[in-house]
Amino acid sequence: MDPIDIGLIVTGFLLVLVVLGIRVAFAAAIAGLVGLIWIFWAKRGHDPEQFLWALTVAVKTAGQVPHSKISSQALSLIPTFILIGFLAYYAGLTKALFEAAKRWVGWLPGGLAVSTVFATAGFAAVSGASVATAAVFARIAIPEMIAIGYDKRFAAGVVAAAGTLASLIPPSAILVIYAIIVEQDVGALLLAGFLPGAFSALVYGGLVVGMAVVFKNFGPPVGGFSWRERLRVLPSVFPIFFVIAIIILFIYNPFGGDAWGTPTEGGALGAFVVFVMALHRGMRWPQLKSALMETAKLSVMIFTIIWGVLVYVRFLGFADLPGEFSDWITSLEQSPFLTLVLILLAYAILGMFMDAIGMLILTLPVVFPAVIALNGGMSVAAAESAFGMSGVGCAIWFGIIVVKMAELCLITPPIGLNCFVVAGVHPELSVQDVFKGASPFFVADALTIAGLLLFPGIVLYLPNLLLGG
Amino acid sequence: MAGASTVLEDGTLLSRIDRRLFRLESLLALIGGLAVFSLMLLAVASVGGRNFLNRPIPGYVDWIEQAMPLIAFVGISYCQRLGGHIRMDMFVGRLRGRVLWAIEFIGLLFILVLVLMMVWGGWAHFERSFDWSAPYWSRDSSLDIRLPLWPAKLLVPVAFSVLGLRLALQLWGYGRALLSGTARPVAVPLIEDASAIAAHEAETVSGLDDNGRFG
Repeated sequence: MDPIDIGLIVTGFLLVLVVLGIRVAFAAAIAGLVGLIWIFWAKRGHDPEQFLWALTVAVKTAGQVPHSKISSQALSLIPTFILIGFLAYYAGLTKALFEAAKRWVGWLPGGLAVSTVFATAGFAAVSGASVATAAVFARIAIPEMIAIGYDKRFAAGVVAAAGTLASLIPPSAILVIYAIIVEQDVGALLLAGFLPGAFSALVYGGLVVGMAVVFKNFGPPVGGFSWRERLRVLPSVFPIFFVIAIIILFIYNPFGGDAWGTPTEGGALGAFVVFVMALHRGMRWPQLKSALMETAKLSVMIFTIIWGVLVYVRFLGFADLPGEFSDWITSLEQSPFLTLVLILLAYAILGMFMDAIGMLILTLPVVFPAVIALNGGMSVAAAESAFGMSGVGCAIWFGIIVVKMAELCLITPPIGLNCFVVAGVHPELSVQDVFKGASPFFVADALTIAGLLLFPGIVLYLPNLLLGG
Repeated sequence: MAGASTVLEDGTLLSRIDRRLFRLESLLALIGGLAVFSLMLLAVASVGGRNFLNRPIPGYVDWIEQAMPLIAFVGISYCQRLGGHIRMDMFVGRLRGRVLWAIEFIGLLFILVLVLMMVWGGWAHFERSFDWSAPYWSRDSSLDIRLPLWPAKLLVPVAFSVLGLRLALQLWGYGRALLSGTARPVAVPLIEDASAIAAHEAETVSGLDDNGRFG
């Protein structure tokens, strides 16, 4: 049997395991190990006496993956970013942000909803997790919005949708994972998420203002804050700006010269500032311990998927499935751009049923090389490529779009988790209410993704400064 | 897709062992959390040392690479106990009773075999770098300050062995449920619907802002 046939059969087996509810990380590792055994055994002609040899080689090959792949400095960013997120709750940043946003942009039509969008975007800068962000702001912002006359469904929808911004605005754990899986520069990807994240927030804000202008009785603006009051609220949100600035400066120095350090150090410094702030706000050992336990649990979950999938990837390499898939994709007689759009649509559908991180890690080892091949390969020059960008540029651009796509699925039925979370915090709201309230933002996100596809400059401007492309 | 679950308890031997093991697992998870915290302090010291004292921490990267297995592996069983490893539960979420427990049992059996293989493979990886007669018992070392690598490599089979214990317990739990046909078995993570997950999520962050002094 050809290695490629083994590749296809084992991949089918993996899908069955995942659908049967075996935890994704272990399903991938099981498929990878079975595939390795099979492929080594096939090399010896399926001789029964050689099975033990094949098993031993496969187990030793798989057994070194966890330690050798996880002991890397780049991966240490993930737990640090997660820690920032958990500490941020204790630093009192959420209320402070909402208050600051109210004072600065509350006077706009639909002001309180716009404030919610920007406060959430700001919190995204210290939190890498969409679902948790939505949970926090559901408690703070929704009651205030309902109190001054907003439709409760819309109020809930704003929070659910704005929560998805966390995935693009640095520090984003999911972008670090993407960078590791596709072996690209972590700093460049984190930097690349910044403008599209800010762009998404502006699109959301613009949408709210537009709706407030068009629809009567939408919800009054909240004005009447003096400049003094506006300035006075700023120190309490200082850590947010500090964390953003420090992470960017540790990746790229806009004043010329070297960056101030590594992204890992930037993330750690950011965490330290939020930690000090949380101490100042009254965090003590019980709270710190619970933040550390949650950080440990989430980190382990992510690392387990990473090594599990890397065992599977090791097998895929032997079976050369990614190469075959790339050859097939590039041989299609249609425009590469159409193929790319179809791939993204497939992600949108898949995302409706699967968790974003699991979906990306599981599919990228096969899909990513194909997308790069569509553009003309990793070393292609921008002028000769299909999408008008270098191989590295394409890797970054695709990453941002696919992450945005995955996050879009957090507000779509049937399992848009952000909507469930918001409804869970407010029992008077049904999940259907929240899905309905979030639907305008779904349209906004579709437009944002179209914008990012048509104007790659929004994604690539900042990373090009770093990479000198 | 689910990432959190409820585990029921009662006075049976199974449940008692479950809680014992959970105490060990919690301790291991805390060690993982403290490793993240130390990573943060180490980076602050490294940046501070380099910029203010003009003296970088020797072997900074080596230490990070040594700490990563602590973060990535030792909590793996804790995460499994709480049902924290993500899965797709669209299909199994619809099943009830014995059919569900049978599917869970078979799935878990697959994972247990995998984990035993990984203990073997991880141990082999450790053995290649460990040598009683070498300095620091080590045949290989990190690039910069030559830390021995075997302790970090040893963490993999150790952490996976604890996971193996946990999986065996859960097999016991599902096996018992399969025999008795109960709807609410103890010592195994139960599938929750999205709203229960949401309630969990809200719980982890509720009451936190009330600690702050913002008014």
